[in-house]
Amino acid sequence: MASYPPVATVTPMGHQAARSLRVADEHLARVLAGEDFLLFDGAMGTQLQARGLAAGEVPELLCLTNPQEITEIHAAYVAAGSEVVTTNTFGANRTKLGEAATVEQIFTAAVGCARTSGARYVAADIGPTGALLQPMGTLSFDEAYDLFAEQVRAADAAGADLFIIETMADLAEAKAALLAAKENSDLPAFVTMTFDEDGRTFLGTTPEVTAVTLSALGADVVGINCSLGPADVAPLIARMLPWASCPVMVQANAGLPHVEDGCTLYSIEPDEYCEAVEAMLDAGVTIIGGCCGTSPAFISGERKLLENRSVARRVLRDDFCVTSAQQLISIPAGHVGVIGERINPTGKKRLKEALRTGNHDYVMSEAINQTSAGAQILDVNAGLPEIDEKATLVRLVSELQGVTTLPLQIDSSDPLAVEAAVRLYPGKPIINSTNGKQEVLDAVLPIAKHYGCAIVGLTLDEEGIPTTAEGRLAVARRIVAACDEMGIPRKDVIIDCLAMAASTDQRAPRAILDAMSLVKRELPGVRCVLGVSNISFGLPFRPLVNATFLAATFAAGLDLAIVNPMNERLMDVVNSWRVLSGEDESAQAYVASYADRSDAPAGVNFDTSTDAGIAAALDSMAGTLREIAAHVAHETPAGSEGDTPRKTPAAAASAETPEGQVRDLVLAGRKDPVPDAVRVILADADTGHDAMYVINEVLIPALDEVGARFENGQFFLPQLMASAEAAKAGFSALKESASASDVPSKGKIALATVKGDIHDIGKNIVRMLLENYGYDVIDLGRDVDPQAFTDVVVEGHIELAGLSALMTTTVPAMAETIELLHDQAPWCKVVVGGAVLNPEYAKMVGADYYAKDANESARIAGEVLG
Amino acid sequence: MGAGLRIARETYAITGVDRAEVLRYLGYRGQALTPELDARIDATVQRCLSVAKPRASLASFAVRSATDDTVELEGSVLRLTGHDIATHLADATEVVLFAVTLGVDVDRELRRLSLVDPLEQVVFDSAATALVERAADAADARARAYAASQGSFASWRFSPGYGDLPLSAQPDFLASLDATRQLGITLTPSNLMVPTKSVTAIVGIHPVPQPGLESSCSVCSLAEFCTIRQTGRTCRG
Repeated sequence: MASYPPVATVTPMGHQAARSLRVADEHLARVLAGEDFLLFDGAMGTQLQARGLAAGEVPELLCLTNPQEITEIHAAYVAAGSEVVTTNTFGANRTKLGEAATVEQIFTAAVGCARTSGARYVAADIGPTGALLQPMGTLSFDEAYDLFAEQVRAADAAGADLFIIETMADLAEAKAALLAAKENSDLPAFVTMTFDEDGRTFLGTTPEVTAVTLSALGADVVGINCSLGPADVAPLIARMLPWASCPVMVQANAGLPHVEDGCTLYSIEPDEYCEAVEAMLDAGVTIIGGCCGTSPAFISGERKLLENRSVARRVLRDDFCVTSAQQLISIPAGHVGVIGERINPTGKKRLKEALRTGNHDYVMSEAINQTSAGAQILDVNAGLPEIDEKATLVRLVSELQGVTTLPLQIDSSDPLAVEAAVRLYPGKPIINSTNGKQEVLDAVLPIAKHYGCAIVGLTLDEEGIPTTAEGRLAVARRIVAACDEMGIPRKDVIIDCLAMAASTDQRAPRAILDAMSLVKRELPGVRCVLGVSNISFGLPFRPLVNATFLAATFAAGLDLAIVNPMNERLMDVVNSWRVLSGEDESAQAYVASYADRSDAPAGVNFDTSTDAGIAAALDSMAGTLREIAAHVAHETPAGSEGDTPRKTPAAAASAETPEGQVRDLVLAGRKDPVPDAVRVILADADTGHDAMYVINEVLIPALDEVGARFENGQFFLPQLMASAEAAKAGFSALKESASASDVPSKGKIALATVKGDIHDIGKNIVRMLLENYGYDVIDLGRDVDPQAFTDVVVEGHIELAGLSALMTTTVPAMAETIELLHDQAPWCKVVVGGAVLNPEYAKMVGADYYAKDANESARIAGEVLG
Repeated sequence: MGAGLRIARETYAITGVDRAEVLRYLGYRGQALTPELDARIDATVQRCLSVAKPRASLASFAVRSATDDTVELEGSVLRLTGHDIATHLADATEVVLFAVTLGVDVDRELRRLSLVDPLEQVVFDSAATALVERAADAADARARAYAASQGSFASWRFSPGYGDLPLSAQPDFLASLDATRQLGITLTPSNLMVPTKSVTAIVGIHPVPQPGLESSCSVCSLAEFCTIRQTGRTCRG
């Protein structure tokens, strides 16, 4: 469980309206208001190295062992004109310090050194943890938060004036540090990240994303440090300035280090450095200093720059904007945006099944398809009564970031689920939604404010949905007033005027359009969002009605449309509206996509929403497919070019039948034609074959043959996997078919790569193969805690568990996991695999089975589970 | 001593990997491939090359003291322990430490593929392994060039985790190169590197020639993108 106090449960509305800061003096207050300059210090590390610090030595310990030297370095910067000195605590967290000292000892001593130097302000330095956060690394967000919170409390208690969270490359880590500062202290928090030559951090975050996300999250100052020399940082700062709603700071390096006569030197001299810094002051930067390679000489140069200078005016962008860790989506006033609606289980059988079973492949494919269809933001809803919504939402949000860089809209009516998801989300998401009910406003707005999210407000309240435009405006007014009071910027407030079915009330569409126009006019600055598809409820050929209404909503001022972006007709409306509104300048995008389009029918369309329609489609398809099948039969399957064994007589004969087609496609590893070929078998009314027949008589025997070929060396790994893919395409087609409910699971298998190990590729191959044999695979991922794994096995009464390890150092974790399993889940058999294992080791760690490859694990699953 | 070697960060523009090596990692033993699979492997290898950003940090340190199981360095807190590394570095006057990485984008793509396309994940993983070895070859050549510039000779590279040199050397190793800041390499609690396609290694600098070194550019796998030859020199001086 997270150790933070959830905002959703403890904070009554209004108490967080504006975070009240403890600001040292009037000058610092003016700096934070963007009205005055502030001069930091330069490098600490470079100065220490010049005094003989060994490479890899923990410099923070010098605060305890040699405080005089640290104080001297600070004092030299103060003499050169620094108003702020930065404590020597960059890496002073619990894990890096180890046994050498406590975090409290270091911060107490470090703040003491800084104070003794005579500096006006002491900035408590907080650098990265040194470990990478999940999902790419193994450190959890909560663990990172705890490390930072300990530093924050120590620094506050030691008497620092502000925090400088710096050299961050991971937006998630910067967010954890900033939240730790905000939630454990009321001192100002400055946050700077470090960028590469390509304008991104090591983890792919841009200056724009940094500025939007961290300033929304409540950073008092954002900026760039380290990175490069100041001339190379300048264009990155220019990209940050329009998007940061707080002052911007820069502390660049003095170029790159090189060695001369055994000494490490940096390539840029103070004069050149200051020239580049001056250009950034002219652009609107107000807080400066230095990073690696800078010295007091650089600071005195910067001091001179600030004399008699006034703060340059900045122009901030007023776009609606949201971010993921890697992408900014900004929608200026007058433009329209598309929110993909597909990841919402309401009325979607396959999505419900995916969420229930925890096999999220289908969700991922929906995300990928919506991304390529032109969605700019993805709605994510995991609201199913029978599942743990909070846990599922959190997992989905994490997994979706693996397949799309689009920002997310967190969609839930459970404030605790919303908070858990937005807290971990490395970016600025939308929360969907609050509404005019006081209770809901009280629960949701503090979350939006605290985590810097945009928020959807539905125009309904205790009385229901007002039927008139004026009634909806009145609810919108209350929502916006509550947001104003909470301190949520108007541009982050998105009103949903709620589409109602035209078939039940034909005045409804007009009322919605009028309500939107009123909201845009009467509540300047707020945006409008709408899920349009309700409008056509009860009518035939709904996409046409939706498209027509969508065009009307754009004219009424809609900013964000929640639609199915895979629906071409709707995207046609979006793309053509962007021409009519002037958003698509010179219609360039439109011409690029539509120059060759016409209204001529592209082919016969079938209505697949009814059983009759599906039957008609299948009937028609069957004819085409017989042609394809005949073609396939004459094509040579994999490896029949003379140097591999010929087809067996059985295979050759079977290719004449639809079953033979499927079998050959699986053996050849050709997935694309498989679903249609499977449907041909199901569509044959004479045989009456069902899904079970296809699985047991066609797909499984084909996979067995693939396994045999892998075993005897006829196939190598990618061929095995290509065949598994083809079989999977067949299983998917079966699941979509009418007889899907007849497909029983062959049993559950839990998989994990053990604690301490992050090499999971072998486990992923095993998972793929087992799934394609029809098992329900619960994949716990990598670096999995022994007890957490055992809990899942116990909870689901799982009969087979698979564990992998690639490093000798992680084999003990495997043994520990198996011991727990045998103790707490004695019914469960354990199969192990991985590069460092062999049958003897497997026995030594207590495993029941050893699998030398993925194919072997499928055979073992068959033996244990049938 | 000489000038010392300190390269905070350099980038290698590697435009190809040995296809046979990638296939070998995949367990290939001459099976006939369908054109589809063939093309998919090629496309995945190409994507790996475009996603990866091979980079290195290098620094030299004089050997301060050496016993039969511990080597200590001048100006670094790193202690190299174990008989294997001590034997390997016997007579070495200096060492070059280096770290190379393909960057976290490779891990991100592997994660994406694990969610959407396990087959391509496997191929991509093999391509990335081949690629990071080539990047390590390139850093290795830098070390050899440095040895030649000192009138000395390099030994082959040795990594933490080889023999009895423990992985627990990794924190001090990476700290000595400032590799987290320069390259973005981080460690898990079990001392595995993330980005996962990263290599750390030690090259000894010896007063006498070491066996097993490349003898000419024509047989060197780095010739096509070698950054040293562009300066008119070779890694042998």
